[in-house]
Amino acid sequence: MSSIKILIVDDELIMRESLAGWLERDGHIVEKAESGEEALEKIKKTRFDILLLDIKMGGISGLEVLKTIKENDSDIEVVMITAYGSIPTAIEAIKNGAFDYLLKPFDPIELGIIIDKIIKHQAQERENLYLKAQHKDRTRFESLIGQSPPMQQVFNLVQDIAPVESTVLILGETGTGKGLAAKAIHTASPLSEGPFVVVNCGAIPEHLMETELFGHQKGAFTDASETKKGRLELAHGGTIFLDEIGEISMRMQIDLLRVLEDRVFYRVGGTQPIRVDFRVIAATNQNLEALIEKGIFREDLYYRLNVISFTMPPLRKRKEDLPLLANHFLRRFSQETKKQIDKISREAMDEIMVYEWPGNVRELENAIERAVVIGKHRSIQPNDLPLFKNHCHELSGGTSLKDIEKAHIVKILSDNNWNISKSAKILSVDRSTLYNKIKTYQIQKTS
Amino acid sequence: MKSHSEHFIILSPIGEIEVSLLSAIAHSIKRIFGFPTQISSLFSDISFAYDNNRNQYNSTQILNQLSTFLPENASKILAITDVDLFIPILTYVYGEAQLGGISAILSVHRLTESTPLINSDAIISERICKEAIHEIGHIFNLKHCKDPACIMHYCRCIGDVDCKSDQLCRYCQILLTDELVKYKKVNNCD
Repeated sequence: MSSIKILIVDDELIMRESLAGWLERDGHIVEKAESGEEALEKIKKTRFDILLLDIKMGGISGLEVLKTIKENDSDIEVVMITAYGSIPTAIEAIKNGAFDYLLKPFDPIELGIIIDKIIKHQAQERENLYLKAQHKDRTRFESLIGQSPPMQQVFNLVQDIAPVESTVLILGETGTGKGLAAKAIHTASPLSEGPFVVVNCGAIPEHLMETELFGHQKGAFTDASETKKGRLELAHGGTIFLDEIGEISMRMQIDLLRVLEDRVFYRVGGTQPIRVDFRVIAATNQNLEALIEKGIFREDLYYRLNVISFTMPPLRKRKEDLPLLANHFLRRFSQETKKQIDKISREAMDEIMVYEWPGNVRELENAIERAVVIGKHRSIQPNDLPLFKNHCHELSGGTSLKDIEKAHIVKILSDNNWNISKSAKILSVDRSTLYNKIKTYQIQKTS
Repeated sequence: MKSHSEHFIILSPIGEIEVSLLSAIAHSIKRIFGFPTQISSLFSDISFAYDNNRNQYNSTQILNQLSTFLPENASKILAITDVDLFIPILTYVYGEAQLGGISAILSVHRLTESTPLINSDAIISERICKEAIHEIGHIFNLKHCKDPACIMHYCRCIGDVDCKSDQLCRYCQILLTDELVKYKKVNNCD
C-alpha cells in the first residue's frame, strides 16, 4: 500500500492544521473538514482509509457522523478525538463501531500506534478480499467477452501486443477486466508456457511487500526460518502482472524500477544477485500522471511501464455487450447452483440495459449471481435485481409515462453519441421506430 | 547562475545553545545535504509562542515567524532551541518542519533526557545532530521512514533516537537526490 488517506474532522482550525502537518510528515495524504456535514460530503466523493473525528462539534456531532458512516457499511476506520470530559461518549463510540479514541492533546506515540494498527488491520482485510477474488478469477477468465467495437479493438490489441514481449500498461476503471486482459496477453504470447504471476500492489501490506516481491534468505530476519522465493523470481520465464500499480509505495517503486532496468535483484538478506527474465504487465484504475504531479508516483517508473498502453472500456460504453455477458453469467451461475433459471425476462433485461454499471463487468457478474441465487422463477425478474432501484436515474413524482419514455430515449441517444442503430438496439426497437419517437418528442441533438 | 556551494542553510540558535553543538550540526548538514551553513541568530524572543497552560512553546508559531526572516541568499533555516515545544494536538514534539518548505525548528529539551553516565556529551550531541538532519530532511520533502536505522525514522522514544544511524537509508537517499536535483533546477544552480 502507498500512503494512507486520512480525513481530519475538527471544528478547531488550529487542531486540524497541527494534526494535518504532523500526519503529512509521517507520509500520509491528509484532507480536512471543519464539520460533520463537510466530512460526510467528502466521504461521498473520496475513499479515505482513516477518519480522525472530533466528538464535539457544532452541527452534526462526531457520534452522528460515525453512525452514518457505519450505516453505509463503509470500510473506513474511525478514531474519535475527545477531551477529558467526553470519555464516556468515546467509549460509546467504540461500541458503535469506532476503532479507538484519543484524548487531546495526545501523545505522538499513541497516535502512531493506533495508525499502525489500522494500517495492518486494513491491509489484512484487503489481502483476504484479494485472495477471494483471485480464487473467483480462476473460473472467470472466459468472461473477457464482447462483440462491441470497443471490445473488438481490445481483442485486436491483445493479438498485436502478445508476441512482442514489451511492457504493457493496462488502464481502466475497476471491474473492466484489466486482469483478464493481462492473462489473455500472456496466454497468446510466446511465454504462455511460463508462469503468470500476479502481484496486487494494493492488497499486499507494505511491510510484507519487500519479501513478497524479492523473497528472503533463511535467517534474514527473526521469522525467516527458511529461504523463500519472491514473486519476481517465480515469474522467471513468464509474465509478472503488477495489478493496482498506482498503490505501490515510493520505496518499492525505487526497487521495482531497478529490477525493471537491470533484471537483477537480491533476496532480502541475500548476497547473490538473481537474474530474471519476464514480461511485465501493469494495470491501474488511477491516473498515474496525476499521481506524478502529486509527487507520489515516480516519473521514471511511469515511463518504464508505459511502453504500450491501452484502456479497457467501461461497460456503459459497450452496452451492446450486456445481453451477451448477462446471459453468459446466467448460464454459468445456474449450472453452478443447479437452479433451473434459463433466461432473463425482457423487463429485467431492460433494467440491465438502462443501468450505468459503475462497477462494470464485476458488478454485473455479482448482480446475476445474486439474482440466480434468490430467483424463484424460470427467468430472472426485475425484482431479482433490486440493487438497480437505488441507482436508476430518479424521476419526480408527477412524471408522465411519455416524459419517462422521452427522458430515457434522450439518455440512450446521448450515451451512444446519437448512433441510431446502436441506440435502437439498446432500446429494443427498430431504427424507424426510434426515428418516429425522436420526431414525436421533438428530441434534438445537443452539442 | 549560482553554484551549489553559494546556497547555504542558516542555523539560528534560540536561547543557550553551545557553539560546539552548532558546529557538529553544521558538519552533519554538509555531510548529508552538501550545503554549507551560516550561524545567525535571527531572533531570540519567542515569548509570543509561550502557552501558559502547557508551560511549553508552540513550535508552529515559531516556524511561521522564522520563515519571514529568511535572508535572500539563504536556502533554508533550522532554528535550535532549548525550550520544550508542542503543537496544539500533541503533548510535545522534538521538532517541527514545513514539509517541502523553508524552515524547521528543533528542541534539545527532551533530547538531553535519559543520558548515560559515560560519554553523555557525545551521545547528546549525536542525538541532536540526528534530529537536526531529520527536521531538515522534512524541509527537503522527505517523510518518515519505516526503517528503524534510517535517520528519517520517527522515534517514539530517546532509545529509538540512539538506535537509529546518522545516515539516510538507500530509499531516502534516492528520494533526497531527486529533491536536490529539483531544488537545483528551481534555484538555477549547477
